[in-house]
Amino acid sequence: MKRFILTAIHFLFVVSSASGSVKFEAQILPILEKKCFKCHGQEKQKSDLRLDSVAGINKGGSSGEPLFVRGNSAQSLIIHLINSDDLEERMPPEGETELTVGERDLIKEWIDTGAQMPLAPNVIEISTDHWSFQPVQRPNIPEVKGDWGNNEIDSFILEKILSKKLSPSSVSEPRKLIRRIYQVMHGLPPSEDMIAKHLKQIANDDWVSVVDEVLASPRYGERIARHWLDIVRFAETNGFETNRERLTAYHFRDYVIRSFNEDKPYDQFIIEQLAGDASGVDVGTGFLVAGPHDIVKSPDINLTLMQRNDEMADMINTTGTAFLGLTIGCARCHNHKFDPILQKDYYSMQAVFSGVRYGERMMPKNNDEAAKKSLMELEKKAQSMSKELDSLKLISSQIKAKGNGHNVKRESVSARGNTEIFDEIKTKHVRFTVRRTNNGGQPCIDELRVFNTKGQNVALAKKGATAESSGNLKGYEIHKLEHINDGKDGNPRSWISDTSGTGWVKITFAKESNINKIEWARDREGNFSDRLAIDYIIEHSLDGQSWHKVVGSEDREPYGGAVAANDAFLTFLPDNDAERGRNLMRNLQRIRNEISSYRNGSKAWVAKFEKPGKTHRLYRGDPMAKREVVAPDTLEILGSLKMSEDEDEQQRRHRLAQSIANEKNPLTARVMVNRLWQFVFGVGIVDTPSDLGSNGTDPTHPQLLDWMASEFMQKDWSIKHMLKILLCSDTFRQSSRPRTDAIKVDAGSRYLWRFPPRRLEAEAIRDSILAVAGTLDLNMGGPGFYLLDVDRENVVHYHPKEKTGPEEWRRMIYMFKIRQEQDLIFGAFDCPDGNQVIPERSRSTTPIQALNLFNSHFIVQQSGKMSDKLLQEAGDSVEKQVRTAYQLYYGRPALVDEINDATAFVRDHSLADFCRAMFNSNEFLFTF
Amino acid sequence: MDRGQFLSHSVSGFGGIALAHLLNSEKLLGTEKVRESAPGKTPVRPLIDPGNPNAARDSHFEPRATQVLQIFCSGAISQIDTFDYKPELIRLHGKPMPGGDKLITFQGEQGNLTKSPWEFKARGQSGKMVSELVPHLGSLADEMCFIHSLTGKTNTHGPGENFMCTGFTLDGFPSAGSWVTYALGSETENLPAYVAISDIRGTPQSSVNCWGPGFLPAAFQGTEFNASKPVRNIARPRGISDITDKATRAFLERQNKRHLNEYPGDNELAARIASYELAAKMQMTIPEVSDISSEPAHVLRDYGADESGSKIKDLRTAHAKNCILARRLLEKGVRFVQLFNGAYQTGGEGVSNWDGHKKIKEQYSIHGPVLDQPTAALLRDLKARGLLENTLVIFNSEFGRMPTFQKGASGRDHNPSGFTSWMAGAGVKAPFSYGATDDFSYKAVENVATVYDFYATVLHILGLDHERLSFYHNGIERRLTDVHGHVIKEVLS
Repeated sequence: MKRFILTAIHFLFVVSSASGSVKFEAQILPILEKKCFKCHGQEKQKSDLRLDSVAGINKGGSSGEPLFVRGNSAQSLIIHLINSDDLEERMPPEGETELTVGERDLIKEWIDTGAQMPLAPNVIEISTDHWSFQPVQRPNIPEVKGDWGNNEIDSFILEKILSKKLSPSSVSEPRKLIRRIYQVMHGLPPSEDMIAKHLKQIANDDWVSVVDEVLASPRYGERIARHWLDIVRFAETNGFETNRERLTAYHFRDYVIRSFNEDKPYDQFIIEQLAGDASGVDVGTGFLVAGPHDIVKSPDINLTLMQRNDEMADMINTTGTAFLGLTIGCARCHNHKFDPILQKDYYSMQAVFSGVRYGERMMPKNNDEAAKKSLMELEKKAQSMSKELDSLKLISSQIKAKGNGHNVKRESVSARGNTEIFDEIKTKHVRFTVRRTNNGGQPCIDELRVFNTKGQNVALAKKGATAESSGNLKGYEIHKLEHINDGKDGNPRSWISDTSGTGWVKITFAKESNINKIEWARDREGNFSDRLAIDYIIEHSLDGQSWHKVVGSEDREPYGGAVAANDAFLTFLPDNDAERGRNLMRNLQRIRNEISSYRNGSKAWVAKFEKPGKTHRLYRGDPMAKREVVAPDTLEILGSLKMSEDEDEQQRRHRLAQSIANEKNPLTARVMVNRLWQFVFGVGIVDTPSDLGSNGTDPTHPQLLDWMASEFMQKDWSIKHMLKILLCSDTFRQSSRPRTDAIKVDAGSRYLWRFPPRRLEAEAIRDSILAVAGTLDLNMGGPGFYLLDVDRENVVHYHPKEKTGPEEWRRMIYMFKIRQEQDLIFGAFDCPDGNQVIPERSRSTTPIQALNLFNSHFIVQQSGKMSDKLLQEAGDSVEKQVRTAYQLYYGRPALVDEINDATAFVRDHSLADFCRAMFNSNEFLFTF
Repeated sequence: MDRGQFLSHSVSGFGGIALAHLLNSEKLLGTEKVRESAPGKTPVRPLIDPGNPNAARDSHFEPRATQVLQIFCSGAISQIDTFDYKPELIRLHGKPMPGGDKLITFQGEQGNLTKSPWEFKARGQSGKMVSELVPHLGSLADEMCFIHSLTGKTNTHGPGENFMCTGFTLDGFPSAGSWVTYALGSETENLPAYVAISDIRGTPQSSVNCWGPGFLPAAFQGTEFNASKPVRNIARPRGISDITDKATRAFLERQNKRHLNEYPGDNELAARIASYELAAKMQMTIPEVSDISSEPAHVLRDYGADESGSKIKDLRTAHAKNCILARRLLEKGVRFVQLFNGAYQTGGEGVSNWDGHKKIKEQYSIHGPVLDQPTAALLRDLKARGLLENTLVIFNSEFGRMPTFQKGASGRDHNPSGFTSWMAGAGVKAPFSYGATDDFSYKAVENVATVYDFYATVLHILGLDHERLSFYHNGIERRLTDVHGHVIKEVLS
């Protein structure tokens, strides 16, 4: 099992000229020979310890702890072990080899007088013959007979298939193939139009164009990014018991999607994630802090140190598994049991990351001309959308006023923001009077905006408006009257009244204005929801003397503390207007976010850096048991980076990153091409994709893996280049049908004598349902949508949403990813919760999944949408509806008995019921 | 050992063809690597039928118990105020703890030693001293096997609950229930193999981690529901009639079977078809088993499920209903039932859980009566129905509490250095007390036991070798007991 060996295994003890009162060769060596060599010598190396060489004695055993501290027997492990009262610990174990008192004293004295030994190299050398540590060499392409095969990959695959007396499968039926490449590379089924187009391309023997088009789509980046985010344990909450949200962590997700879509060279992608701050791509370092971290602090120092060490363990472990395919985390407490990784190496890596801290910070702002132009365009767009929305709100309030609507109240107030829409008023003063707050505290408003009919905020101080109030809370820099109209949002720029529960604030405009909208909030940044006005009146006055009511809280739903539905006005509108309003709101929000990040730069959850202190090796990983200082470095086996203990923080990460993203590194390219293989074929050539060490499995096709690794590096680490080779291969294009003869030999299809079918992952299932039903919102990027309601207190609680709407109908990669908690339906489909790195998802089948997919509100809702879509596309003919449905669900025409069965079913029940069944069917949920 | 058990299924679980893969006599491609799960030991891989992943499986050796009920008091129930009697603490009440100068614990400085506000009395034949906070449970002391010397690794709730439920302080590891169902499957196929009955007030601090599958396949996660909250998505959707629902299911099956003709022998496809049949059965049986209205009045009375009108009565009734549900699930053969008492959502710091930092007397005066009678009735009922003959009952909390009051407060801080758990039922010696803390119940000093030892023992009772029940994940054969744990032989019957 153990494949790494000390290079210095020969008997090295030669006569020494060193002087000490105890002679090693004459006095110590004989003891070792007699009492220790049996278990720690040439034959056996229990606990990985060899005492028959200087190098072995210097290296120590698997604990990573040196056997002795020169001149200090009291701190020497060997003295502890030979004197221990704990019989399980004592060395040598009980029995005839036990040390005598005299022998023990002699060893103690030898250490105390300087532990003289024959000369030996200072450096502990380790080496390994494990395959993944050997340099990548480009193998020759095997020569195989026959006309099967399109490229190099096929030659390697065919050679293996033939050697097992198997044969490849014939090429798959074109429609299946088109569906397959879309499911695999986009996580979505192909549209009708694309199927038609690709069928022609295939007929013209132009599969390459199909592959190119698929890889050029932005859907590709979203799909591959989902895999990558599993590998780097990305989620948007802290985890542990508080599990608070990281509201700006999405920038990293967007960065990953963008990187794949741009086909960013993989070596650059690695460097940016470990040290993007060195090249202005700070967002990449979201990688370092994407994992869970515990924010519960205690005066107990043990706890604090352990938390910090756990944080760095997460970074080391993820760096090791994601890029190197090594489980470095295993060396935290002792030398790695299987791979040539010393405990010291672990702490060298810890020194690399010891300046990394969790948190949010501003990203550098993009100021170039293109950015300015985009900003202007966005602002224009936002203004016109906002106007359109206001007119809808007005229509809504008119309908309501006429009593045509049902007796529905406006949404309750929300701490994050409230809008008051009313008919145009010509006025000069606006007064906002709070009568009651949600918690009885002094009311707080972060900003009061009053808009004229041109959509300009006339309440702004810089537009000449002035503010007055009933009184202001004293003593807080962040709460001042002038903040009410300074154009800045959030609690740190807010006004608070000086009386509990009540207070008013008045804005006087520079001149009379025609106003029709007011916006106000407690905290638009969403951090606070106390001090919220829940009973209020807004009045206006032309002369500052006589006041007239504009709006008030009496027609709002009572405040419940929950997040308010700001789209309540839609309920009064006719269906098509409501739909338009909903889309407008969604897109407007997205555009506003974009504007804000152009204007202010954006805040993002990425790594923060500080000057690191010293890093010590920790005995058994115990933060209270500090040992020698360790300099930042990569693993010894990969060659030292020769950095000093006080190396600059950024340099530490940058140097490590460069050594990983390096053609000389034997692991990096192998690990990534193996992942790409897995993304395409379901299982990697090595089926433990984040462990290419000795405890991982051996590659099924080692030569192929090396050929790909070499090709990858030669082609500038282009991921799309590699995927194109895979997708253009005959191996990929084979039929997925099982063949009895082949199943007998290779049931797992690991030799790829067919394309192995597999169930879609949770995200791909949800996305596919929405895509087919025509409800999928393909807007990319930005903050995620929530599938759970959030209950924010010290510890954040999440409650799965029973019902979802268009807001939640984006691709699931944009779901706000909450640690631990899963959504109501798809969590049961082996969806990782972001707490651990998951290089390969398990794929289980359970009755709970069936219940979720068959009974949930979501499925019934989407079945309804699908039924509407079919009616629209196919009209009244049930047969036509059914035919269309099979096309949309499966990307193929319906068969005769399917048509008969389905038409009868639809006639007896309904089209929506039929759609519900189809969403649950195997053919819909699998890639074949 | 059976050669079949040696052949692991691939790391991706038991997808599709995996069964054929498993039973294939040829060791394929050298990829089925035999790794060590402990020095000199190899994993025993459960043979999992992808069509019914929770089908019953054999244990490693003859089990002493076949089902588990885990009662979990979230928030860290105080051993000092319940089961760990310390006359010295009473004697030195109000004095500084000897050797405890400047002791800093989770929330900060410690005040003086403080005896329990509840008196201890000798109970049963054994004369075990149990406090008046839990007199009903006390009356069953003869049925219990106490471990007074348990120690944990953290003094924070989240990591502590993770540790007590999964053997790791970090998030993301499989819960004990998931390990057990992974190994053993279940005796019932009409109900989930593993049920987590949550407190009606909400979830524990570590929330779903306590019953999560971690990196084990989702098939082995605990299904969460309670007597007042049904399983999600169990009910037929509103607006769809029973007839249509059945017809839809039948149509789905026909469609899937037509398709299966194209992929004969594909287990994953067949498994999905089967999963809809199982789901239909569960749709019948889960509401049946959760409906405790059929329980006779005297049962409701025994459990304390028949009173309402005050906070204590309402909460007790809710917990009692959950206790009855637990019994009904065990009766039907559910392998692992977790019963939670205490929740964080509706009030941390002791308001709705056992985290009595500041006002322990006031808060425990509610929690005690809520927990006590129903839980005791459950134990008694399990015994009366003969269920204790094959059910192991374990009583846990994330850690214990300090014998001192916190400086300036009337409550106790966290203490993972010595706390009490008890076991009862199949496989354990009772009445029996194992291990001890010091004179004040501050530190375990005699027969010090770890959470690893505790679970090594639980698994042993279930006929499982904790060193051979493992799952390969990111380079390591992971175990419930990490790389530690010794079976506490003394507690075995």
